[in-house]
Amino acid sequence: MSVPPNPIVDVRGVTRTFDMSAGPVTAVRDVTLTVVAGEYVAISGPSGCGKSTLLHIVGCVDRVSSGTVRFEGRNVAALSESDRSRIRLTRIGFVFQRFFLLPMLTASENIELPQAEAGASIADRRARTRALLDYVGLSHRADHLPSQLSGGEMQRAAIARALANRPALLVADEPTGELDEATGGHVADLFDRVHADGTAILVVTHNPVLASRAGRQLAMKSGSIVS
Amino acid sequence: MTSRWLAWRTIRQHPIRGVLATIGVAFIGALLFDMLMLSHGLVDSFAALLDDAGYDIRVMASDGVSLVRTPMTGATQLAADIARLTEVRAVSVLRIERAMLVEAPDREVLLLGSNAAGSHSGWMLTGGADLPAVSAVGDCPLVIGRHLAVVRRLEPGATVRIRGLARGASALPPVSCRIVGVANFLFATAEDFYVATTLAGVQAITGDASDEADFVFVSSAPGVGAAAAVRAIAPIRPDLHAYSNEDLMEQFNRNSFTYFRQISFVLTSLTLAFAFLLVSTLLTVATNQRLGEIAALRALGVSRRRISAMLLWESALLVTSGGLFALPLGGAIAVWLDRVLREMPGVPERLHFFVFEPRSVVTHLLLLAVTGVFAAAYPIWLAARLPIAPTLRREVVG
Repeated sequence: MSVPPNPIVDVRGVTRTFDMSAGPVTAVRDVTLTVVAGEYVAISGPSGCGKSTLLHIVGCVDRVSSGTVRFEGRNVAALSESDRSRIRLTRIGFVFQRFFLLPMLTASENIELPQAEAGASIADRRARTRALLDYVGLSHRADHLPSQLSGGEMQRAAIARALANRPALLVADEPTGELDEATGGHVADLFDRVHADGTAILVVTHNPVLASRAGRQLAMKSGSIVS
Repeated sequence: MTSRWLAWRTIRQHPIRGVLATIGVAFIGALLFDMLMLSHGLVDSFAALLDDAGYDIRVMASDGVSLVRTPMTGATQLAADIARLTEVRAVSVLRIERAMLVEAPDREVLLLGSNAAGSHSGWMLTGGADLPAVSAVGDCPLVIGRHLAVVRRLEPGATVRIRGLARGASALPPVSCRIVGVANFLFATAEDFYVATTLAGVQAITGDASDEADFVFVSSAPGVGAAAAVRAIAPIRPDLHAYSNEDLMEQFNRNSFTYFRQISFVLTSLTLAFAFLLVSTLLTVATNQRLGEIAALRALGVSRRRISAMLLWESALLVTSGGLFALPLGGAIAVWLDRVLREMPGVPERLHFFVFEPRSVVTHLLLLAVTGVFAAAYPIWLAARLPIAPTLRREVVG
């Protein structure tokens, strides 16, 4: 099996087993997956099939029990925690089902936070934040706290935050899971736009509408990719 | 977007929690501040009293300050011998007797006899004139305590009849003495009646012409120092004891003040433990409520150091704001407690239990800062070791 050109993430023969009190549980079993630049991949499957675990492995927040993960050519297992943290900050954008915006910060401040952490100047991050708010259609909500935003608005702010440092890969875990159908559709539209603008996307979803937007759809079952 | 700014925004997000924490730390900090003032207040206040007396050495018959009167004989010769030393600048003799005013027989008066004239060691003149160094035989000029002057409506120029309470003797005849001045006696309680006169005056009142003294007060010569003067005085009368103010303070520290120091140490430790538990509990609960947020921040690439710093700042801000409110609150409580304690019988009016010193503020803030750091340690450890993926999974499932 040849490696596709320009892979952002290259997962090979990865297994992830958790030691539980009742005995070991294998959440991901011998999975191989490559996401190349600009690609849009959706993973679907029943609850507990290992989708989120695979997403966490790809997003460099979880370690593997066996197999290798390379992110832009670097072996993730060999990286220190701070190096992996740096990759997550600058090369990966995370979108969560429950948004996880910081409740004490406004929408614009939430978007500024990863840029500040990456060391961007105030002027640069203000300009980038304005552009992103405009991009996700939240300019009029810039100074609102998450508690003052609707679910769809919070997820759009979270997507803007994920894009703040111009990541190579956007990973999203059930991004429409907390939204109604119409709002989920708007988020799916936004993902299309992000993809069209050149950012690779790996999304885990139960939402067939969202999955259908992806260029490549994968199905998982019992920890393995089955199609 | 510094960690401090994020911590401040977090506190602002939960104003009730912030206010309660601040109030809690303020009250605990106030008690801590009071305990710090108490731990050295009595010592400092007593040292100030000794220093205000104007002499830095005391010669006495007892080994240390005694509650039982132990007079020295040959006081005049002793004072003269000491005065001849080059290490000594000034010497005075103090004799202490008991007496009563004929017009107020129900109250005992403490009678001091001194030859110190204007450089006496036991009172601060508030009105009239001071005692002469010597007076004619049978004459007894008086400086009376302020409390006695107020209660008996006495003032300089008035004459009182005073009777000595001689040891074991029958009633002595009263002697008419002229009041020359009114003073605050350094070691008098608020209720004590004090009068001072010359040594000849004491002899006239008590009918006891013995050359006795309870204390010989000595000022060391400039540049010599009390310790050198004490060493020079010691051979003159080996049966007596000479103590510098520092020696006496050391004795008091070892004996009389240990009780207060122990109390203040125990209470200081307790207040610090309460401050630690309060802030640590609040931060731990708050951190546990934010595990999802923290895991998400870590997933977004926010470093452990930043999150730790944020929690540390949160603790520091709560402790600092509470600690600053604690200062005026502690000051007010100290004033009230000081007044209550000074109403105890036998406590000199000018002695204070709580004494403000800049070092108390510095120690108070340092202790609170250290407590804040320790209080943040567990929440920081909790956040730093947080496994990102399982936490995110748990938050979604939960």
